[in-house]
Amino acid sequence: MKKNIQTFAWLFSAGSLFVACNNDDNSTIIEENTFGAAELYFDNGVNGDKLVLGSSYSNSNSETLTINRFNYIISNIVLIKSDGTEYIYPKAKSYFIISEEADLHTVQLENIPAGDYVKVRFGLGVDQQKYLEGETAQQEFWDYAVQHNLTWTWSTGYRFINFEGTFKPAHAAKHEDHEEPETGTPGLFNFQIHQGSNTSTDNYREITLNLPTTARIRQTDKPSIHIVADANKITDGRNKILLQDNLNAAGTNASIMGGENLIKIAENTLQMFFVDHVHNGSGSHH
Amino acid sequence: MMIFGLFSCTSDDVYESIPADSLFSLKIPSNFPQIAQNIDTNFPTQNGVALGRKLFYDGRLSRDNSVSCAFCHEQQSAFTHHGHDLSHGIDNLTGKRNAPSVQNIIFQSEYFYDGASNSIQMLSIVPIHNPLEMDESLPTIVEKLKQDAQYVQLFRAAFSNGEVSSSNVLNALAQFMTIMISADSKYDKYIRNEAGGNFDQQELKGLDLFKNNCASCHATDLFTDNSFRNNGLPPNSKLNDLGREEVTGFRTDRYKFKVPSLRNIELTAPYMHDGRFGSLQSVLNFYSNGVQHTENLDPLLQNNSHTGIPLTQEEKEALIAFLKTLTDYDFVKNPLFYHKT
Repeated sequence: MKKNIQTFAWLFSAGSLFVACNNDDNSTIIEENTFGAAELYFDNGVNGDKLVLGSSYSNSNSETLTINRFNYIISNIVLIKSDGTEYIYPKAKSYFIISEEADLHTVQLENIPAGDYVKVRFGLGVDQQKYLEGETAQQEFWDYAVQHNLTWTWSTGYRFINFEGTFKPAHAAKHEDHEEPETGTPGLFNFQIHQGSNTSTDNYREITLNLPTTARIRQTDKPSIHIVADANKITDGRNKILLQDNLNAAGTNASIMGGENLIKIAENTLQMFFVDHVHNGSGSHH
Repeated sequence: MMIFGLFSCTSDDVYESIPADSLFSLKIPSNFPQIAQNIDTNFPTQNGVALGRKLFYDGRLSRDNSVSCAFCHEQQSAFTHHGHDLSHGIDNLTGKRNAPSVQNIIFQSEYFYDGASNSIQMLSIVPIHNPLEMDESLPTIVEKLKQDAQYVQLFRAAFSNGEVSSSNVLNALAQFMTIMISADSKYDKYIRNEAGGNFDQQELKGLDLFKNNCASCHATDLFTDNSFRNNGLPPNSKLNDLGREEVTGFRTDRYKFKVPSLRNIELTAPYMHDGRFGSLQSVLNFYSNGVQHTENLDPLLQNNSHTGIPLTQEEKEALIAFLKTLTDYDFVKNPLFYHKT
């Protein structure tokens, strides 16, 4: 059922936006000192298509990527009203994992002051303060992140994004003289992109998104903010990163886990998200 | 006795009597630089330190329960792995670096030769997970420790939430490392004008040479500036260790390694990140004659016509005499750091 609703939302997002706009029958009165809940729904896509693990996507770098893993950390959520006042969700509770393979797509928020919110801000990854505090403040977020392949242990910290799969480079012929790739298929290579901070560069970024429709949080009204995450932007955004250029010396696989690429990816991810639509009212919906 | 021990594990009293805890009295040496870590959120307590010490000596932190922290960090060698150029780990595998000394941790801002961590809270993650060292994971360690009633009680006694958890394993280890301060060498007594701090002529000459030739990198009374530098060691092609580049991914960090503290250096042979030098004489021979112009060689070791630090044999001997004043016999004998204190 949930899947059907998701698919519906994906295909008919414009339509549901229209519905959402008309679904305005609730009272506009905001009762003082009341609280409600909200949900952020992260729908993973690839340049306008739905992200399906195992499927192949061609990008403007002339590379074809088959995505096998797309997990990331969403943190430090802030909801913003039209007058600019911000509700900062309690930091200790503000770390979440989105995982395509584990079917984790929602961030559930509770005890938010009732109001009309027009923007949402969130972090992609773990901020430097938490990063340094390590597990003291994270509580068992570390263990949770371990389960979803979002930790680094050779350097201490979190992977903000774990994006893995296989790819066919633009000029496969160029690599014929190399050893056989790990995939066992000539011209097809594994790739691992692990975005994160290290003790040299802080690659945590915060992203602010406008909501196309006001999210009305009331005691009885729980809006669902439907956010699309475009995985294509990681390598094919403002900065173009060719996986082929990151093949290891033996030419068997491409790993991006450090250096300038992480800074470029951090910039690309600023354009990775947009809010597709907002559902207002009570009840479950995507 | 065995049977009694078994019974006590299952009896209720382990859940009732929680020993009172109190803050550890931490003495900060007057000649040291500022503390470089936030220790206020995990300030050492008597019970926290006792738990951290027990964990430090416990092989259960490794996959097959054989390798403890102390395996490579032995107190009598100022918490290094004496006699091993490269550290041995689980399954008798050999690591690719020499075990660094565990001392004065809270005064340092970066850890490991490549800066894999900059947090006292997090640093234990690195050796615990390294497949050549302990090859274990925190959640599995927690599962093992939860089976041990004594640990359950120690965690209850040490932390307000009382939990055996990944966080508290790291917290306890951090508390133990917080108190591992070495600041009572002959040099410290000399600097602080304390009894036992008289330098002879050779040691004074060595100190003077040190200030003029070594102290820009081995700075402050910690004897490190916490930076990463290429000191011109010819790379060992068998190890192909890129140094800090392995953490940052920047080519400009290739062959850079953390400037180590020189405290207790007399006890921490062999030397350098790969333990290639067996004596201080060899180290100084390298600095005077062996520095190679490899990628990213530190500018301080390139002085116009000469790479390295020109030193006569007499000067080397004076430097070694000075370096031996950095030995802190109280630190390596302090019962606070013993296994069974």
